[in-house]
Amino acid sequence: MEERIKNAFQKALEVEDKEIKLTDQFRDYEEWDSLGQLSLIAILDEDFGVEIESDDFNEIITVGDLLKAVQKRS
Amino acid sequence: MIFSLSGKNILVTGASSGIGRQIAIACSAMNARVILLGRNQERLDETLASLQDPALHLRYSADLLEYDKVESIIKDATGKTGKIHGVVNCAGISTTLPLRVINMNKMADLFHTNVFSAINLTKIVCKPAYIADDGASIIFISSVMSVVGEAGKTLYGMTKGALVAASKSLAIELAPRKIRVNCISPGVVVTPMSKSSFYSQNENTLNQIRSLHPLGLGRVEDIANPCVFLLSDEAGWITGTNLFVDGGYTAR
Repeated sequence: MEERIKNAFQKALEVEDKEIKLTDQFRDYEEWDSLGQLSLIAILDEDFGVEIESDDFNEIITVGDLLKAVQKRS
Repeated sequence: MIFSLSGKNILVTGASSGIGRQIAIACSAMNARVILLGRNQERLDETLASLQDPALHLRYSADLLEYDKVESIIKDATGKTGKIHGVVNCAGISTTLPLRVINMNKMADLFHTNVFSAINLTKIVCKPAYIADDGASIIFISSVMSVVGEAGKTLYGMTKGALVAASKSLAIELAPRKIRVNCISPGVVVTPMSKSSFYSQNENTLNQIRSLHPLGLGRVEDIANPCVFLLSDEAGWITGTNLFVDGGYTAR
């Protein structure tokens, strides 16, 4: 699951070679923008069957937080 | 002048909520007999209950993507009401998907839901056995995204543009039978669907969307009223148009 979440970030931000760490605060990524966020949400929905409401998503700070949120919902 | 729909049978898809529900309500208020189609039976019943004289109207809980089952519904409905004088193709969904996450499945799904189902239904209703002999009015609910763009709206805009393109050729093809075909292209209207959209979940993006509409965001009534007009005999010389009802969104 951890690798799949990291891949989701790489795919959403179109940065396939970027190293993604669980402790990363993903909003600090240079590539992070509203389209990246939309893409990530679409990938979580399609690949993980997980929907995260906007308010909940706003409370997710790190890659690790997202992993936990997805695990909790799947 | 009153845009009466008295004596007309009007079929509305996507009637279980939002714009489709209000179109059904407006048609019944103008004395039409309404045939409601929608996926959610419970919400369809709520629409039916909010129509003038509910017992007069029909409702069918159906998935228009089950293409082969549509004709039996139309046959049953017209058997009860008589032939159809108007159709409002309102069923559809919206997406906001950046190019990088669009794939073949998503394209196919959205085209089936927003385009193919409406064309299939229209094809069936336009059979001489089901459509009124003295002509009819067909409306497709498109979107401003049929002609302008926003980031993430590629796929949605493709489907809405397809409806506009289809309506123009249908208008020509069906004119000899006095069947008029038009589109209405709304801007952002406050509905359960738009409220669940990405842009509604964040106050900043919602304000941004609001600022693109000089007259503010739309109400469902703003779309239902011009539908009544296009369905009425007063619009008898209007076909092949795409009417923008967008609070000024495309005026810029």
